[in-house]
Amino acid sequence: MSVIKTEKIVKIYNSKHLPVKALKGVDIEIEKGEFTAIVGPSGSGKTTLLNIIGGLDKPTEGKVFIDNEEITQLTDSKLIDFRLKNIGFVFQSYNLIPVLTAKENVSFIMLLQKKSQKEMDQRAEELLNEVGLSDKFNVRPNKLSGGQQQRVAVARALASRPKFILADEPTANLDTESAFNLLDIMARLNKEENITLIFSTHDQRVIERARRVITLVDGEVSSDEHFDR
Amino acid sequence: MKTLIILAWRNIWRNKRRSFISIASVLFAVLFAISADSFERGSYELMIQNMVKFSTGYIQIQDVLYDEEPSIDNSMLYDDDLMGIIDEFEGRISYVVPRIQNFALAANENKTRGIVVMGIDPEKENQFNELSDNLTEGTFINKSDNEVMLSQGLAEIMNLGIGDTLILIGQGFQGVTASGMYPVKGIVKLSVPDLNNNTVYMPLKAAQWFYAAENRLSALIVMPQNPNHTSRIAEELNEKLDNEWYTALSWEYLLSDILRMMQMDRAGSQMIIYILYIVIGFGLFGTILTMMLERAKEFTMLIAIGMKRFQLAIVCIFESFFLSSVGAIIGIIATIPFVLYFNYNPIPLTGEMSNIIEDYGFEAVMPASAHPSIFVQQAVTIFVIALLIGLYPAYKAFRIKTVTE
Repeated sequence: MSVIKTEKIVKIYNSKHLPVKALKGVDIEIEKGEFTAIVGPSGSGKTTLLNIIGGLDKPTEGKVFIDNEEITQLTDSKLIDFRLKNIGFVFQSYNLIPVLTAKENVSFIMLLQKKSQKEMDQRAEELLNEVGLSDKFNVRPNKLSGGQQQRVAVARALASRPKFILADEPTANLDTESAFNLLDIMARLNKEENITLIFSTHDQRVIERARRVITLVDGEVSSDEHFDR
Repeated sequence: MKTLIILAWRNIWRNKRRSFISIASVLFAVLFAISADSFERGSYELMIQNMVKFSTGYIQIQDVLYDEEPSIDNSMLYDDDLMGIIDEFEGRISYVVPRIQNFALAANENKTRGIVVMGIDPEKENQFNELSDNLTEGTFINKSDNEVMLSQGLAEIMNLGIGDTLILIGQGFQGVTASGMYPVKGIVKLSVPDLNNNTVYMPLKAAQWFYAAENRLSALIVMPQNPNHTSRIAEELNEKLDNEWYTALSWEYLLSDILRMMQMDRAGSQMIIYILYIVIGFGLFGTILTMMLERAKEFTMLIAIGMKRFQLAIVCIFESFFLSSVGAIIGIIATIPFVLYFNYNPIPLTGEMSNIIEDYGFEAVMPASAHPSIFVQQAVTIFVIALLIGLYPAYKAFRIKTVTE
């Protein structure tokens, strides 16, 4: 059963003045446990597609189903709730809350889900241990390296036990060692815990790890390849 | 909610210097506003206190027509019924001061002058305003005397001294001719120049006889045990008094003209304080706006990961509230010792201002009022400003987009 299904997604920016067609009828299906990389040159529509799948943006035409639930018709408030319960986000520039410690950043999403303090503490510590930051619980983001911040972001994305994680160019700001380190962690989570990962990237290091690579060119799927890794 | 509050609190300390400057601006605004308000109210309170203590008393019982037309014909009967009503308030009324007052012509061998005869119960009057302290010559009149005390200015104008005779001619109750000759027993110095040049004090009985107004009074001053109960006692008195003839008026009514003038005067200075707050408000708004612009991306991320817009709005409002309330609280705390010090040690006035105030019989000092309402008012004002400023980022939180085109 597919976790994510898009039907003829069209996205036109600035439709009234100078329309730019970012997506031109994208149909994709992503199964549970996949490690998918959406690749393509700049302006090919990777981020737009990710935003639409993540419920951050609405398509001009077409439908998005998450676990068979159509999210394109949801109101803003319901979409926020939907994202909180179903989707984990990892952003290119980490986007941690600077005034919260690593543990508080991870707990924050569970707090929004109204989890108990005990559960939040337990899971935050468990996830930070998993991403190799057991000694950084009480450190604020500005005292962490880029790679460490991105690992906190991964822990945060996992904290809500989402159906899948969307990562927009997660390695773009990382050095090689940090990037490999992060990819190792994510690949392990994907394999061991069957977590569905969707990356938008043009980083070859990510592409080489992904088991499925969807290539977008000019807003259209130009290839969809599966690899046995 | 706890985490949202913690988040807001930590957010305001992201840029410590900026926050300190914002807090300091609120602090000094509060300091200035409370001090200015406190001294202004302190001066007015002292003035009112003096007027009440030395002139009107807290409550006056009068004939219903006397307030409109203060003549001897509108004097009231001070009989057993009225005394009985006063007695019912035993324990709540400290004492009463009877007065009869009317105009007359004062004359000696060479001069004639229009004056005010104040018929007083010397003992009660002294208890009320310590008149005997103002005695400069002779002795204070007794209840049963048939002698008078002159105000110092009048004695000088009329060239009269102790033992001299004052001739009084006037119109008594219901047109009766009033005339008499009275030896001068004492001379008192009154602070208000008008009164000092025109007042003759006469024992109550003698004055009632002079004006053919036996058992009649212009007003009966009522001093409550607890001045805070003035309005209630006045109301209860009015319920018990025969309203066809009597009315009990509180000092607020008796001094309503002065109070109105004070309110108008205060409105001007309040306006300046509010302008100051508007300036401070815009300063704070600038800080909040900068904080918002700096964090536009963070706000988008928070909404993206599932933070509800109203939760973000709460954080924004709390940030504005913390910035202003920290300044307000420190400002209020810093002002308390200052205000208390000048409440107990009023600033002595000097120069012309001092002379003018002393001429009116008041102590030439400027005390600070430590009334809690001054502090509460500032706290409420700051709260309202914080709320108004917080509304903008809160509004923005509801409008923020999760993606930009």
